Amino acid sequence: MAKNPLRVLVTGAAGQIGYALVPMIARGVMLGPEQPVILHMLDIPPAAEALNGVKMELVDAAFPLLKGVIASTDAVEACTDVNVAVMVGGFPRKEGMERKDVMSKNVSIYKSQASALEKHAAKDCKVLVVANPANTNALILKEFAPSITQKNITCLTRLDHNRALGQISERLSVQVSDVKNVIIWGNHSSTQYPDVNHATVKTQAGEKPVRELVKDDEWLNSAFITTVQQRGAAIIKARKLSSALSAASSACDHIRDWVCATPEGYWVSMGVYSDGSYNIPAGLIYSFPVTCCNGEWTIVQGLKIDEFSRKKLDLTAQELTEEKTLAYSCLS
Amino acid sequence: MENLDVLQKVVVLLGCLYLSWRIVRYIWSFLDVGKDPVIVLVTGAAGQIGYALVPMIARGAMLGSDQPVILHMLDIEPAADILEGVKMELMDGAFPLLKGVIATTDVNEACKGVDIAIMLGGFPRRKGMGTKALISKNVGIYKTQALALEQHADPNCKVLVVANPANTNALILKEFAPSIPEENITCLTRLDHNRALSQISANLNVHVGDVKNVIIWGNHSSTHYADANHATVDIGVGYKSVRELVANDHWLDSEFITSVQQRGDAIIKARRLSSALSAASAACDHMRDWILGTPKGTWVSMGVYSDGSYGIQPGLIYSFPVTCEKGVWSIVQGLNIGEFERGKMDDSARELIEEKAWAYSYLH
Repeated sequence: MAKNPLRVLVTGAAGQIGYALVPMIARGVMLGPEQPVILHMLDIPPAAEALNGVKMELVDAAFPLLKGVIASTDAVEACTDVNVAVMVGGFPRKEGMERKDVMSKNVSIYKSQASALEKHAAKDCKVLVVANPANTNALILKEFAPSITQKNITCLTRLDHNRALGQISERLSVQVSDVKNVIIWGNHSSTQYPDVNHATVKTQAGEKPVRELVKDDEWLNSAFITTVQQRGAAIIKARKLSSALSAASSACDHIRDWVCATPEGYWVSMGVYSDGSYNIPAGLIYSFPVTCCNGEWTIVQGLKIDEFSRKKLDLTAQELTEEKTLAYSCLS
Repeated sequence: MENLDVLQKVVVLLGCLYLSWRIVRYIWSFLDVGKDPVIVLVTGAAGQIGYALVPMIARGAMLGSDQPVILHMLDIEPAADILEGVKMELMDGAFPLLKGVIATTDVNEACKGVDIAIMLGGFPRRKGMGTKALISKNVGIYKTQALALEQHADPNCKVLVVANPANTNALILKEFAPSIPEENITCLTRLDHNRALSQISANLNVHVGDVKNVIIWGNHSSTHYADANHATVDIGVGYKSVRELVANDHWLDSEFITSVQQRGDAIIKARRLSSALSAASAACDHMRDWILGTPKGTWVSMGVYSDGSYGIQPGLIYSFPVTCEKGVWSIVQGLNIGEFERGKMDDSARELIEEKAWAYSYLH
């Protein structure tokens, strides 16, 4: 018995991340190989033709799971009945723009999209914000879509999480699938804290802590952290374009693990609405280690936080608090 | 007393067998019984089709969700940094199936041990450039790559040429890699095949997955012939022929054919960029169906080494309808070919013969 199709919205779908993301969704990478999907693609009017080109390509690819495609510049049409919303669209930072300017442009975009989702999306719609500033855009969205459960509004830090796994696996010359349970704490920005204190590697002799195997605390506490934080810039330098492929892939991982559950013994990093866990101020969208089951995420509790980590956790929380204040000032 | 003795012996024997079984199982659990990784080469990997293709390969879209892969990515020196950036992103993707990535500008390193080669790289058509000039720019490239594959690739390597002129590039490759079986050298017409399915599905307002068995005959160029004469639509209670359902022979014999031929241009017009997403997806479909087999009752289009079937001159790489089983393709035989179809098929064959002659003239 075939499943009913789920509706997946991708905003900013005419852009690079969108172009990498939509074939992944259409192939079942996001929701599983048995789950049919209907894609709703939204972008701004200047991109309408390009968006239509993407729709043409999706039809030409004859994906068996893809039961329909809507390409629209109308937020209401795009948001109607969607079960999953991946918000890739936002105002990009241009050269010479101040942080306040980027913030103010995005605050108004996310306010109006929040309103459209609130009114037209499916009741239990799960939202993933990718466009930067991701955490704060997600917070604005939450504020202006009060009937969407706050648990259902998240932002992407899975890319940083996967990057951290990749760095460890390269350092130890092991398969990336043998490394698990790094944590990305905080803001998806240069203050994020990639934490390996609870990360392990599967070896012949069982699971071993990363710190023990790497045997280089100096590296783990400095160069490793900055490499993960600055990986985005490194890829722009190499490709002359930003990391669409890996961003799209991690967006799929984020939603898939959320909807289909994390494997036993694994956690992942998600930017979620903080409830005061780990002494992080409540009411921020902050990246925590989470496990997922039955379509719900739960913050992994009880992890030991050492002094070094405590400072890092607080630094990124402080940045988020400042961003929240700035965002609110743009609204009034 | 004797019975007790026997019983004791039996119990001890059973106990030993049980313990041995437990020990064997314990040792077995350490062995990784997953499949060996398959090495996949992508040339021109720093370009747009490459960028769309490599995550599809890394996620199992080409070879199945339980087949680990090692990616070899090749491009020219000016693209070395970009290629490195793609490798970084593949690492950042944390793909469970991706067991290794090589990013190189050295064709010999790239071809080492490859089981599958997807040739995206080639000299692109510049504005105003005719096909003859395009061929002249590509024969050298395909000769070099053929020699590298011949020397370093797995002897059973399966090759898919995508870069245009695809059919003739594949022919050059075949000429200079004589120890690769000729049936293992193919070119991509699956994109046109999928586009034809999608045009019919749009016309009939059905899901593209319900349409099958169109055929793309000939050259992956403006002379390819999109043939719907044997195509059918799943209407729930069986299959009906496309001709019957469309009920518009004029459309099928003219506009339908040209819309498939011109789809690439239509997408460039809309996106300002060529159709990387659907080309990459079609490349995955081509390989996957070739290796894992076509579903029963369904055929696909592949550019393959012609053996004289349907009166097409042997020794060309010509797109035919094929079914695939156990890694081998076979041309679907016995299809009725009317006068109209005959004309179209021969036109495309003539073009390929001409391209072949040009290519050979540049080689000597």
